[in-house]
Amino acid sequence: MARKILRINMGALSFAYEEVPGKWAKWGGRGLTSVIVADEVDPTCHPLGPNNKLVIAPGWVSGAPAAPSSGRTSFGGKSPLTGGIKESNSGGISAQKIAKLGLAAIIIEGVPEKGKWYTLAITKDGVSFDSADDILGKGMYEVDEILWKKFSNEPAVIGIGQAGEKKLSNAGISVNDPENKPGRYAGRGGLGAVMGARGIKAIVVDDTDGPGVEVANMDLFKTGRKKLTDAIMSHDLTKPGGGLNLYGTNVLMNIINEAGGLPTRNFSAGQFEGASLISGEMVAEMVEKRGGGMTGHGCHAGCIIKCSNIYPDEKGDALVSCVEYETAWALGANCGIDDLDYVAQMTYQCNDLGLDSIEAGNTIAIAMEGGALEFGDKVGALGLFDEIRKMSPLGRILGQGVEATAKAYGVHRVPTVKGQSMPAYEPRAIKGIGVTYATTPMGADHTAGYTIAPEIAGVSGKVDPLTDEGKAALSLTFQAATAFIDSTGYCLFIAFPILDIETGFAGMVESVAGVMGLEADGIDAIEMGKEILKVERNFNKQAGFTSADDRLPEFMRYEKLPPHDVVWTMPDEDLDEVFAWMD
Amino acid sequence: MRTISHSLQYKFMPTINVTLYGDIAHYGSGKHIAIMDLDLPEDAVIDTLLQEISLPSTERGYLFVNAVLYDAPGLYASRNELLQEGAHIGIFSIRHMWPYQYRDGIRMSDSLKAAMEESGPMQNTYRKT
Repeated sequence: MARKILRINMGALSFAYEEVPGKWAKWGGRGLTSVIVADEVDPTCHPLGPNNKLVIAPGWVSGAPAAPSSGRTSFGGKSPLTGGIKESNSGGISAQKIAKLGLAAIIIEGVPEKGKWYTLAITKDGVSFDSADDILGKGMYEVDEILWKKFSNEPAVIGIGQAGEKKLSNAGISVNDPENKPGRYAGRGGLGAVMGARGIKAIVVDDTDGPGVEVANMDLFKTGRKKLTDAIMSHDLTKPGGGLNLYGTNVLMNIINEAGGLPTRNFSAGQFEGASLISGEMVAEMVEKRGGGMTGHGCHAGCIIKCSNIYPDEKGDALVSCVEYETAWALGANCGIDDLDYVAQMTYQCNDLGLDSIEAGNTIAIAMEGGALEFGDKVGALGLFDEIRKMSPLGRILGQGVEATAKAYGVHRVPTVKGQSMPAYEPRAIKGIGVTYATTPMGADHTAGYTIAPEIAGVSGKVDPLTDEGKAALSLTFQAATAFIDSTGYCLFIAFPILDIETGFAGMVESVAGVMGLEADGIDAIEMGKEILKVERNFNKQAGFTSADDRLPEFMRYEKLPPHDVVWTMPDEDLDEVFAWMD
Repeated sequence: MRTISHSLQYKFMPTINVTLYGDIAHYGSGKHIAIMDLDLPEDAVIDTLLQEISLPSTERGYLFVNAVLYDAPGLYASRNELLQEGAHIGIFSIRHMWPYQYRDGIRMSDSLKAAMEESGPMQNTYRKT
């Protein structure tokens, strides 16, 4: 059965299945959400108004038999945080279930009668529109629990917390994990508010008796799957007992700190004296000491990397999943907080309220810089989440993210690009990531430019990219490679083995080609990635973005970052080179 | 996390601070992180340090000296680098990842730059897997 588009109209409370138009047929995941948004959403519309849409798409291989670590769901729309196009993807159990229902994408449009909220239930038989009165106003932990009791077959729950209900610009979209906990977030860009603006509190996806994922060339798919699986299982970083499996993404905390690139106290230093206390190594130590948690946790069935963790509280009971690197950095080092228990409690609050933890941590750091709290005030920082929960005026400001909070507190050191705050890599110390922060259509985003095999990316592994020169070209190839991987449904962390192990890259391409019915040598990952970037950049251009939006914040040009006392030196003309090929 | 002080009897003893991260922490009596102050002989180089703590070079991943990257998994660019009094050395296990996009442009020693120009700077690891 060919993949279908499921179109849901919240104004009419109706749905329809559509054939995938030819122009969209080759896309999945991010590629598909972005082409649909570009085709159907007016770039000048208000992100919370009736003319925006929420598009949900699993990747090409999600749901295909035993495709390893392939549970990414892409969410797309016009972002309330950036004002541009947004694709934010999440782990959790939704991608495989959507794909197994035979759906290429779900397009949600229209708005219901004011004050009406709904839970959508999607099954093989269609869509039901249930009142969400039973879960309205509740946090995602309770929502997930209620909906698993209400609906059978342990469905995927895609939902928004109170932040999304109030249409705050830092509202993310939660996806439940195999234990039915929130914590897998399409966090960045405020798409939770876009979902809230459609009057949807939750979407339940039950794939029971669905048609499954059609694999056009099973032999090719299996060949590719084996190569990729072998590469993941043998690489030091991704194999069982490897770095990601042992310490999760937070394996990076101490490394970035040792390098002097860990943004600390609102990007005022590159090293944090308490970094080791909030690192992945410390998470592992707490799990072993307290019991009740785990490392090596998988966020969806079929993940063979298992980089997630469950952090235990002082009593040895599971508290929250997952204390990621970005989360621990944002709510820890960047706020001057070195207490992992407080970082974990704030992570819980983000998961429950439905907030992106990167933007939330950066926002608290801005409030600290503005004098609301002292850096390092962990009790005060945790208390700010109560303000958001109460939806006090302060809470509403904080929930709008970094730029709104900076204006409210008169702070000029604002680490954002295109309205979205920077993740956990200081661009003055790690200049390559700065080029990607500045130029990606998504706003400052650490997942927008991953390295894959250099020869595939068109840059020799022996090219010397150790100076400022050439970073524009590198960033473009990295961004294109990432746009491609974001479309596959594979977790971005397959990038490590496919970079170092030649057969790994071949396996990724062959498995995608097998599902899609293409020849493996007919897939040019970089060219397809560039096609996606072009669509996204054009949307932003029509929304009013110019090259002036492709810049890092001013203070990084004149404020020296210790310990290396470096400033951002990349000339604007070099940044403009990244997408000069589009002109 | 384990913090120890390790004092040997050398004539002139530059004292350095070392942190071991990951499963190599057991070479400093830790489980996941070990922090040590070490006294080393005059003219001690990084290889001297690794020998002193019995850390096999094959288990050593990224290595930093005072926030400058000196070595990477599977490369041996730093072994003859002289250690200075008061230096901080951070050493990671070979399992620690550091994607190229998150280290593109960071400070590196000249010897590591040369090694990476030869071997290709983008790899996550230079070990055969």
